[in-house]
Amino acid sequence: MNMKKGLTISLAALLAAAAAGCSSSTNAGGDTAKPSSGSKEKVQLTLWYWNRSIDDNLLAQVNKQFPNIELKAEKIGGDFRAKLITTITAGTGAPDITGMNSDIATYFPSKDKFVNLFDLGAQKEAGNYLEWKWKQGVTGDGKFMLGYPMDTGPTALFYRADLFEKAGLPSDPAQVTAQLKDWNAYIDAARKMKAATNGQVFMFDNISTIYMQSLAQGDKVYFDTTDKFIGDQPHIKAAWDRAVSISKEGLSAKIGGGTNDWNAAMNNGKIASFIGAAWMMQILAEAAPDTKGKWRIARAPGGDGNNGGSFLAIPKQSKHPNEAFEVIKWLQSPENQLQAFTTMSLYPSAPSVLKDAKMNQPAEFFGGEKVNETFAESANHVKPAYFGAYANIPSKAFGDELTNVEQQNKDPEKAYADALANAKKQLEQATH
Amino acid sequence: MSDTNVSLAAGASKRGGSQLWREIYKHRVIYLFISPFFILFAVFGLFPILFSLYLSLHKWDGIGEMKYLGLGQYNYLLHDADFWKSILNTLEIWIISTIPMLFFALLIAFLLNSTFVRFRNVYRVIYFLPNVTSIVAVAIVFGTIFGDNYGFLNFLLKTLGLQPVKWLSSPVMLKVAIAVMVIWRWTGYNSIIYLAGLQSISNELYEAARIDGANLMQTFFRITIPIIRPIILFTLITSTIGGMQIFTEPQVLTNNSGGPEHGGMTIVLYLYQQSFLNHMFGYGSAVAWGMFVIIAVFSLINWKIVQLTERK
Repeated sequence: MNMKKGLTISLAALLAAAAAGCSSSTNAGGDTAKPSSGSKEKVQLTLWYWNRSIDDNLLAQVNKQFPNIELKAEKIGGDFRAKLITTITAGTGAPDITGMNSDIATYFPSKDKFVNLFDLGAQKEAGNYLEWKWKQGVTGDGKFMLGYPMDTGPTALFYRADLFEKAGLPSDPAQVTAQLKDWNAYIDAARKMKAATNGQVFMFDNISTIYMQSLAQGDKVYFDTTDKFIGDQPHIKAAWDRAVSISKEGLSAKIGGGTNDWNAAMNNGKIASFIGAAWMMQILAEAAPDTKGKWRIARAPGGDGNNGGSFLAIPKQSKHPNEAFEVIKWLQSPENQLQAFTTMSLYPSAPSVLKDAKMNQPAEFFGGEKVNETFAESANHVKPAYFGAYANIPSKAFGDELTNVEQQNKDPEKAYADALANAKKQLEQATH
Repeated sequence: MSDTNVSLAAGASKRGGSQLWREIYKHRVIYLFISPFFILFAVFGLFPILFSLYLSLHKWDGIGEMKYLGLGQYNYLLHDADFWKSILNTLEIWIISTIPMLFFALLIAFLLNSTFVRFRNVYRVIYFLPNVTSIVAVAIVFGTIFGDNYGFLNFLLKTLGLQPVKWLSSPVMLKVAIAVMVIWRWTGYNSIIYLAGLQSISNELYEAARIDGANLMQTFFRITIPIIRPIILFTLITSTIGGMQIFTEPQVLTNNSGGPEHGGMTIVLYLYQQSFLNHMFGYGSAVAWGMFVIIAVFSLINWKIVQLTERK
């Protein structure tokens, strides 16, 4: 009996300890101030970011920069969005500042869960950032600012100077920019490349790149600013037809991006060019080490565009939105964006630093070219475009069908009709 | 189990419910000992199951307001061609993976159990190893093996003077590639289970057969198979449940897309896509319950087969 009682007590103690462990860990995750001796009522802020999205050195400096603030930066792995919306829906545990990827528009329908940065005086900072980037963080009606600009991904033409020379094309970046001024000139060059190399070298990696980059160059995508679906309009069909015609002519290597095959094809010279964002430089250098010095950067044929880029936002749960906003402003000040570029290659959204000497270093992988001169021009000429909360649905529907056209020889007209029907069906399901 | 508990509790409450509580109080230490499982199950098992049922009646993007739809999601599910296609894909992958897998597993177990194999434990570990490796890492490695242009397998085929195969860009071969991964991963696991079954067969039976002049094939099909039939059925049921839930392999191989013509779109990948990529958690839950019905039907069929064979 005695032993029984002892066991009961010890078990109960164990459970209590476990419960205490739980509650203390939620305290650590939340923003409950601990009654710590010494420091006088410091404002505690938590910040969520993912690997390589913010310079860790800058984060470490926040506490020095703001003596009244204690910032706890937490690197969140795995499905960032799922974790963020879980804590927001749970009503507790959300950070004071959160990173947001280029899917920022998917948060617009739930903007009431976030702080309107315009209410904190964000408008005063607008002049420091690229207009198109700034607009991506603002809702379609222009009244609610959800995300503060971080990095961007201006696009340019990546090409192999040696292969261009072989095909009788100009190899100097300025001349390439001048000759490949639009898509028709680019496609003409692709035909030359194919002929000069007996079909061994392709100008394009796959037609999804062509479709996606065509849209990135435009000023509208799948929705207008009132969130009406415009994916059935001519600008989409034009990008689609361009991709399809390139497939028909056999000018694409048909190798999907982000695959091992793509890395191999880049490394062994099967692909002579592609349009990509500034952050592709590092990916390419890692994928194709043997081609070091052979690549160059020129302006993208057909116009400048942007791929990706991220933002910082303040969930409504935050008890200290004003302090959080001060930290955001400081972290993303033009000088600190410049700093993040030199340490993390995060391409700035502040035009004032784009021409800075620190940015214009010659790039070894690109034969010593000062590649940023091109990207800076590109960044300054991207057209503002509205994406909308559900852009991923039509984007996937059209992308999947383009793959079917390229890989399965599906009839392009049928594929287009299927993509449109599928996109409309899923949008109806998601929004009705 | 839980049903009887519930009815017991209901009955007890009718005629003086205090007696049940007195019983529970008397045995409180025992209940305390078993409580961790039930508490954890209630929080991480039961609640999500019930919540997903609740979710499936709503439209929810995971962050905004929930909107009640009644059976709307299920109505949509029944008419969703993509959902039916994902069922068909899953079944096809299940068939082309399970049959060879169980066959190889049985063969390996039979060889490991025979007296002429030495270092049996070493083989056992080697065969089981794939089962404990990280599935994402495995999928990435297989991705390089199956690569269309520069994959290892196509390199071998080309070296042998054969035509390369579009493993990842044809809807049919993509299923084969996924099935190969499943076979690689689970054959060893099943063979260990078979081996346990084989070891329970008395050696006298084999000796008697040998004296009667039976060869290896005859002993295998006349003695081994009939005796371990219940174990084969067990592996069949677990493979069915596992096969219905294939996710990581197609997810990594097709980079979330489901592959060309959605040939690698399995039910769980579709569920994931609807919930976490399209942010339709209500519909994702409805897909999950659709999958529940399918697995229930298959389990029922399995169970009937077991009953039939037992009656024989």
